[in-house]
Amino acid sequence: MLTAADSLGHVDSTMPAGAPSPTPPRGMRSLHSRVLAGLSEAVVVTGPARPGGAYTIVHAANTAAERLLPGITAGLAVERVPHDAFRSAVAQQLPGFEAEVAGRVLVARAERLDDDVPPGADLLTCWYLRDVTDERRGSASLQRAQARAGFLAESGRALHGVLNLERTLRTAASLAAGFLAPTVLVLLADGSDAVRWARADAGRPRPHAGEMTRVELRAAPRLHEALVEEAPVDPWVSLELAELPVWNERPTGRIVVVPVPGTVVRGVLVLVEPADDEDVVPLAEEYATRVGTALSAAALFREQAHLGHVLQASLEPPPLPDDTRGAVVVGSAYRPARESLRVGGDFYEVLPRTAVGRTPFLLGDVCGKGIEAAVLSGRVRQSLHALRLVEQDPTTLLGLLNAALLDAADLDAAVTMPRFATMVLGDAEPLPDGGLRLRLATGGHPPPFVVRADGTVEEVDVVGSLVGALRDAEFSGTEVLLAPGETCLIYSDGVTEARGGPGGRDFYGEERLAAALSGCAGAPAQVVCERVVQLLSDWLAGRDHDDVALLALQAPPRPRPDRSRPDRPSPRPRPRPGHPPREAS
Amino acid sequence: MTAPHHAGPRTDLAALREDFLDRLAASDEEGAITLALEALDGGLDVETVLLDVVAEAQREVGERWAAGTWTVVQEHVATHISERVVAAVARHRPADPPSGIGRIAVACLDGEWHALPARLLAEVLGRHGWEVTFLGSSVPAAQLAVHLHETGPDVVAISSSLPSRLPAARRMVEACRASGTPILAGGAAFGPEGEWAGAVGADGWAPDARAAAALLAGSFGAEDDGRVDDTSREEQALLHTRRAELVAGLGRRLRADHGHDPLTDEQLADDLGHLVDFLAAAVYVDDPGLLARFLRWVGTVAVPGGLAPAEIRPAIDDLADRLGDSPRTVALLRSDPVQEACSGEGAA
Repeated sequence: MLTAADSLGHVDSTMPAGAPSPTPPRGMRSLHSRVLAGLSEAVVVTGPARPGGAYTIVHAANTAAERLLPGITAGLAVERVPHDAFRSAVAQQLPGFEAEVAGRVLVARAERLDDDVPPGADLLTCWYLRDVTDERRGSASLQRAQARAGFLAESGRALHGVLNLERTLRTAASLAAGFLAPTVLVLLADGSDAVRWARADAGRPRPHAGEMTRVELRAAPRLHEALVEEAPVDPWVSLELAELPVWNERPTGRIVVVPVPGTVVRGVLVLVEPADDEDVVPLAEEYATRVGTALSAAALFREQAHLGHVLQASLEPPPLPDDTRGAVVVGSAYRPARESLRVGGDFYEVLPRTAVGRTPFLLGDVCGKGIEAAVLSGRVRQSLHALRLVEQDPTTLLGLLNAALLDAADLDAAVTMPRFATMVLGDAEPLPDGGLRLRLATGGHPPPFVVRADGTVEEVDVVGSLVGALRDAEFSGTEVLLAPGETCLIYSDGVTEARGGPGGRDFYGEERLAAALSGCAGAPAQVVCERVVQLLSDWLAGRDHDDVALLALQAPPRPRPDRSRPDRPSPRPRPRPGHPPREAS
Repeated sequence: MTAPHHAGPRTDLAALREDFLDRLAASDEEGAITLALEALDGGLDVETVLLDVVAEAQREVGERWAAGTWTVVQEHVATHISERVVAAVARHRPADPPSGIGRIAVACLDGEWHALPARLLAEVLGRHGWEVTFLGSSVPAAQLAVHLHETGPDVVAISSSLPSRLPAARRMVEACRASGTPILAGGAAFGPEGEWAGAVGADGWAPDARAAAALLAGSFGAEDDGRVDDTSREEQALLHTRRAELVAGLGRRLRADHGHDPLTDEQLADDLGHLVDFLAAAVYVDDPGLLARFLRWVGTVAVPGGLAPAEIRPAIDDLADRLGDSPRTVALLRSDPVQEACSGEGAA
């Protein structure tokens, strides 16, 4: 049991309560003082000057307390202690307080000495004070280290997520803005004539990006040296940077410049008014290394992608002539097996009308898939372009192409894979009655379908051997007449041999294709192709498939006599389930 | 050619839309194009012609088709003509060069063939200063990933009208997430109020092209949360794997004469396949409402040979029996909204 009376011996227990006791017994006092003085923790005891009184004084303060709260001493009235935080904590009887005194951070905890206080006795409060300055500093630096590690890990992930050069550059600026400095600029020289830049400002949604020509860079010779001539970054470069046309507001504060190393590209990371912290520069250097790796990877990818694009563009089916009011209406669809490649072994093309008024076309399929097949299909198309200069008859053309492919295979003995193709080729000639005459020849290809105006679907009776397989191959030709609005559909076996359906194992087959085409009578050629590809996609339900190519040739439909709503026969409605249901109410 | 009674330029939108729809119904491509170009010359702006005439007419086309009054091919022809009109409008009034606001890729979900809404979005955004790449209908995730690396757009917009395609969004979303590219979802597939856009990992949703342009004009950015959790993904993948087996089993269970008429069997299998797809999508976004809406719709449109309204409840019960090892899927099949839809009840 401790009371104001006996704890510190201010009051002799034999004395009547309430009697003042300025001087405790000598022995007690020195014991308390010596115990307190020996503690490394700072202790201050406060309480009423006399039991029941309102006037609070410091009853005791040890040496450690006098060091932490200079000016405090036993016997001093609390209101005269020269520390605001202490005074208000005592007055409000707070459970503790935190204060900064002379550059040190103090944490104090109050302990009410109120066990079994007899009525009428007064409470004392014991304040334990700790200097947490070093502790705090340590944990703050730990937190900073963790934040830095997190920043670098996150930036590694984000920078390598995309291989696009401009995008990576913008990402590099925005990741650092707000962490390394409020405004961050990244400049990049990639061997081209221009220097790209991206600037991000903390709190702004999108980074800004642009290009500067070499000429504009002449005004900044030190920057030019650092970027283009790979010289070390000159400290004075920041003066030049402030003048570049890349800022929203011309920077006036401190600028830190860090080189961005890279094997393919070179750049600098510019921090505007970074935190005044010794760690910023090493961290920025670490970050710049990651940025450099990502930018180099993106620059390499760009070169490779360009190579791929040029190849791809030469192998992709060329666009169809966009002339629906001409002699022939064409439509097409193409779905290569390897979709990210966008080219494959199927190919088709429609050429401009010849001098004699015929529109040549072809659709074919070389053996194999992917880029190898695409390269072979390119060769077939080029051979045909050359052969067409001397021959126009489709059947004769196929024979010549057969010989050309076999000759090429003989010359190119290094290539052991078989290289043959199946195809339908021909030309379309408009007839005086508005119809179309097609001359067709085929080599080993599924026969085309003809969709008549009344919905009848006919298979064209034409056969021939594989092209490029045998010297003595034979090819046959035929003619097809289309009335206005009627369509001839040439397709690759990727359509009929698509495995899918409810069981997942059935071929789509000629029958289903014919049934689908029957429903497309009178529809524009492009719609016919799109419809078939859509049905096929439903059939496949996401399964792998071979290259798919479709080419539809149509005699232009007769112009309508008037624009009134036609009396369309309304076939059995078979809406596809899965259309977004409309709310009925 | 203008019909003679059209004395001046047509700017009355409702009448214009009606005329346009007539041209679509008559498969009159030239007439539809002429109408749109004359409206432009008469003072209407491109956005109004594209959204208030073409898109609105096309919405009506979709409704006629959903109600069974138009065939699929009629709908396709109308859509084809509308696409030609969009191209003609774009040629007639080319967009200004990009203003530098940003780069965006517009793509339809893999398996989504309705490209027109995405095409319209691309045209409208181009007129709001965006540098737009239109990737077309049914874009495989691999193609989108390649595009992200090559072009590095600031935003990817994905469009879809069919909720059953939602699981296909996963790989597209993953491709975008890997590159930190935010995704804007659009179209009815993501729910009437876009409530399923977040579940597939999109960062935002817009009901139409105007709303999309407004949303993108603000600070549209990628968010880190909103990932689909793995349990629903696993169960959705399982449904996809077992699709053929479930469809065959359901068919035998529902029809005593199953296996006698291949045409009827195929139509039923079609419908049951869609049922499994919608179930998988509902599991994927964890919302029984998605399946319930589909069931109510099946209940209103009779397709000869297809799933009959009376067969819906037995089909749902049978699915719940067969999928006992997928707790989320079973809970969804047994949930109130799905059960009510089986009885033809619930909010229509």
